[in-house]
Amino acid sequence: MVTILEVHGVKKSYRMGKLLVPALRGVSFNAEEGEFLTIFGPSGSGKSTLLHLIGCLDRPDEGEILIDGSDVLKLSDDKLAELRLTKIGFVFQFFNLLPRLSALRNVELPLTIAGVSERETSERAKEMLKLVGLEARMNHRPSELSGGEQQRVAMARALINNPKIVLADEPTGNLDTKTGWEIVQLMKKLNEEKGQTFVVVTHDPQIAETADRLIHLKDGLIEGIKEAPRGSSQ
Amino acid sequence: MKLSRILVMAWESMKQRKLRTSLTTLGVVIGITAVIGLASLGEGFRLEIRERMQQGFELDNLTIIPGSLFAGLSRERFTDQDIQNISKISGVKAATQVMQIGNVTLYNPDKDKTVQAFVATAVNFTEFVQVFPGRFTFENGTLPEQDRNDSVVIGYKVNYPTENDTTPFAVTNDTIILTLGVFVQQPYPHLEPRNYNFTVAGTLEKRGTPGITNFDYWIFIPLETARKIYDTLESDLIFVKVYDPEESERIADDIEGLFPPYKVTILVPLTFIRQVDGILTIVQLFLMAIASISLLVAGIGIMNIMTVSVMERTREIGILKAIGAKSRTVLTLFLSEAVLIGVIGGLIGVLTGYGLSFGLAYALSGFMQPQHQQDTIFQTPETQRIAIRPAFSVGWTVIAFVFAVAVCIIFGLYPARKAAKLDPVEALRYE
Repeated sequence: MVTILEVHGVKKSYRMGKLLVPALRGVSFNAEEGEFLTIFGPSGSGKSTLLHLIGCLDRPDEGEILIDGSDVLKLSDDKLAELRLTKIGFVFQFFNLLPRLSALRNVELPLTIAGVSERETSERAKEMLKLVGLEARMNHRPSELSGGEQQRVAMARALINNPKIVLADEPTGNLDTKTGWEIVQLMKKLNEEKGQTFVVVTHDPQIAETADRLIHLKDGLIEGIKEAPRGSSQ
Repeated sequence: MKLSRILVMAWESMKQRKLRTSLTTLGVVIGITAVIGLASLGEGFRLEIRERMQQGFELDNLTIIPGSLFAGLSRERFTDQDIQNISKISGVKAATQVMQIGNVTLYNPDKDKTVQAFVATAVNFTEFVQVFPGRFTFENGTLPEQDRNDSVVIGYKVNYPTENDTTPFAVTNDTIILTLGVFVQQPYPHLEPRNYNFTVAGTLEKRGTPGITNFDYWIFIPLETARKIYDTLESDLIFVKVYDPEESERIADDIEGLFPPYKVTILVPLTFIRQVDGILTIVQLFLMAIASISLLVAGIGIMNIMTVSVMERTREIGILKAIGAKSRTVLTLFLSEAVLIGVIGGLIGVLTGYGLSFGLAYALSGFMQPQHQQDTIFQTPETQRIAIRPAFSVGWTVIAFVFAVAVCIIFGLYPARKAAKLDPVEALRYE
């Protein structure tokens, strides 16, 4: 097993007016390649903050985060952007698709930013949409798609760059239970097929339980790590 | 991210907000229209005036007047020696001196007609035509023969004093009587009118005026004759023709050097034209500076709209950054929109600007026609109609276009930087 993500003693506080509010108070864990990890906890426990730090959208106040061996704290903003582009895929609670672009163009976006040729971009995006079962709707805009479909587009976008880690922030939070489960199943399927590491933040205990490993976060600290019995989710 | 893709994205985002984009672009269009319109109109006006003055002044002719306009009126007159000295200056093609006799009355006994001439100019005809070649166009007759001392050449306005005159005052070979005022000391100093017989050698066609020498109102008699009548060897004016008009200022300096300070005034047409040209250029720049204000207003419009746009698209910027766009990419994306607005607005503005200059030129030309056509010093028959033709200068067009794009970039820079600096976490949270 190769360790793809290392989090050591990470602390992060936010300033709210004059108050310094701690969001993470020293969190450490690792993630292996191909692992399906969930971070579970009530709202305000620091889940999203942790995900943002892992996703290189923000920097920790203290501690160390290593993604595929590179120390996030030591990288410049441009290098972080590059890391996000090449090694990380994001799935958000509110899908965060660009409303004026078609599903296909949304999926293409990371490759467009990376400067990949138009033809290759288009081919790979179509492939990804096929993988998430949306090839028939690739020319629709987000507003013409259901929530579940939008989240599938978002997944295709997250995966198109072949990232090492896929980060999902409450991916089912804005979906009904049935569609939410479909999305979770899709993530599990992709995780198995492509062998990428998934880190999924959720406050839904049922979804959290599907993971290889469940990290229970409370008040900015890890309260417990629960490993699924080997083979149970495979 | 490739620039072409950025431009496509910027274009798509602009298309998404059609009304807003077109209104912002309209600001640039109006600004450029004003700049181009006034620039080409001003340039056309300047060229028109320049052309008119070049027709009015013979650029290769210098006129030397005794005395100074600035230092009293010590009018020492010119001598043959002065002509010889001036002729030796390099670049001088020919020089001639003339005597001018004012208020001459002409009487034609055959027709019993009397006319007045402003000036009788006593010239050496051979030298004079070297300085003013092509200026003597004869209605009939020719230049006087060299050995005759009683010849006279009559200008058009002397021969036909009013518009109603259809028959000339005199024709070739008529003998006419000139009454010249001759200065006499006794019994008291006064001008005594004396009569002299002359034979008409030729009459001139209407020419209008090149320069300050309007031959239409002049008559010409031989210099030697005038010298005898007035018993003097001195003359009133010297005309110099130079080879190259560009050298005329240097030659004028050289001529001035031949005389004591402030003893002569030299009229150099080139200097005059340059000064007028300079003034008109300043006026043109002033007009363009005023027009540029509208471009600045357009720039502020762009800044305003883009700032709003950045706020509206905060989340989009957050998404782009989250999936790996660098700050520079976001900056370029927003700046591209500003540049596109500048380029499109600039192109349309250049076209409408030229349209505007044509319209204005047409309207102004209608206003500017003189009500009563007169022969004045600046009007030759060919140029009496004032018509401003807008002049399309590639230079001004490029400058205006670049200025438009630059204004858009400068005013777009603040909102674009604001977008680029957004914190992705904050931006994603933005509702």
